Amino acid sequence: MQFPGLEGDYTGLINIVFLVFIIMMSLYGARIQMWQWLKQIEAGLIELEHMKKESTQRSIETFKKFGRPEEEVEKELARWLDYFTIMPVDLDPAGVLKRLDHLLDERRDRFQEFVSELAPEGALFEHQSLENTLEVTQVLDLIFRIVRHFYLIGKKTGSQIMIMQIHMQLPDIMKLAKAYFDALDAFAEGKPIGDGIGPLVVTRFAREYGGTPEKYVHEISKEVGYYPIEVEGRTVYALRATGPGGTVGKPGFAVKKLVDDNKGKIARIITIDAALKLEGEDMGRVSEGTGAAIGDPGPEKYAMEQTATENDIGIEAIVIKEDEAAAVGVMDKKILDAVPDVIDRIRTSILKRTKPGDKIILAGIGNTIGIGL
Amino acid sequence: MGLVSKFLGIIIAVSGIAILFFGSSDPVWSFGYYILGLILMSVGLTLVTSRQDAKDKKPPPPTVTEIRCDNPECTFKEIRDFQKGDYILKPMDAQCPKCQSSMTIHGVYVVREEEPE
Ligand SMILES: [Zn+2]
Repeated sequence: MQFPGLEGDYTGLINIVFLVFIIMMSLYGARIQMWQWLKQIEAGLIELEHMKKESTQRSIETFKKFGRPEEEVEKELARWLDYFTIMPVDLDPAGVLKRLDHLLDERRDRFQEFVSELAPEGALFEHQSLENTLEVTQVLDLIFRIVRHFYLIGKKTGSQIMIMQIHMQLPDIMKLAKAYFDALDAFAEGKPIGDGIGPLVVTRFAREYGGTPEKYVHEISKEVGYYPIEVEGRTVYALRATGPGGTVGKPGFAVKKLVDDNKGKIARIITIDAALKLEGEDMGRVSEGTGAAIGDPGPEKYAMEQTATENDIGIEAIVIKEDEAAAVGVMDKKILDAVPDVIDRIRTSILKRTKPGDKIILAGIGNTIGIGL
Repeated sequence: MGLVSKFLGIIIAVSGIAILFFGSSDPVWSFGYYILGLILMSVGLTLVTSRQDAKDKKPPPPTVTEIRCDNPECTFKEIRDFQKGDYILKPMDAQCPKCQSSMTIHGVYVVREEEPE
């Protein structure tokens, strides 16, 4: 490379500098890139840690309102944060869902035991909200620990794969963490969340046809009940978890129980749930399809599909599209505005695909925090 | 803040280009000016193109409670700030100021701002 106006010695010097620069870059370019990525992961990690700490602090403050001193709450909480559940072995798949269901029951019992120990003065619905708060704190703690694990391993070994992996996923991870962090406010205050749209739609529908809190039949399965209502000559069991505490209950098993109790009489199962929207899709968009819309780890969905298949019952789903942040955050106006549309579709489905005298199960799936009966 | 840094970036980048092209005619210093011009240009362009992330945090939108009259012929509607203990479908103690019917909480929600696509 030659520069006009430069002569003699300078040209040589510049050439050397230039050459050294090229060599350095080709030899250490990757390392510089890794260093840059590590710095970015570090920045993310600092933010994750901040979210984790603040959510823990909020949990402590929420818990200590219910009768135990702060130091005890803090100590117990630290012990509880990395509570884990070991998934059942699936090498021998026979009965794996039954085993999973058993483990999930056990986990839930331990959660409830822990919450009632730590908040002895809380009422049931307060305990349910506390469980949710605890779960959010756990998730944030878990995310922080996993990202830190890969960051430290990457730093220690200099492994490009490790660093690349976490760096590529970082934006997604941060988005998820932020969604949960924002959800804390909803759970701590008992505000309805986007995921609660299923139970809300079902309740609104039931109210239009004379369902009232007094007519609601409690506990046909864990924390789930239904309104028996009459719609154009058909009997509809409008099923949901019992609010306004934060619970999802076990609606899948409730459906199974209703089908078993009404042997041969159930003509159709309609499930209503929130579904994750794709980027670019409108929030609160309603779409319908076939199958059981329920986002549990497996056992309940299986129960619904199994009972529908055995009894030859049509099973359909109506979902309301929302993103992760809206699903765990305070109910968005756009999601709420979708309710009349969903109710219309339920009515159409019932009129079109069942006949008078039939019995129908309408199941609203979701967390009932902040949604009254 | 975003606009200011973009404006600053343009100024730095333009001055970088000026230095690059009209640098000193002195043979010893012209190379220095050449490097300086390049650096200024890259700094300026970085400032212009760097996206403003969620760094400057906005406070979350307030949660509101919408109360409606139970009388289907009445259109009374009240929107107020969320209070602890509110939940959707909660019957209110207060009566409708228009027709003295009972009232129910119709919705508890936030209005999120559109994210630019
Ligand atoms: Zn009125």
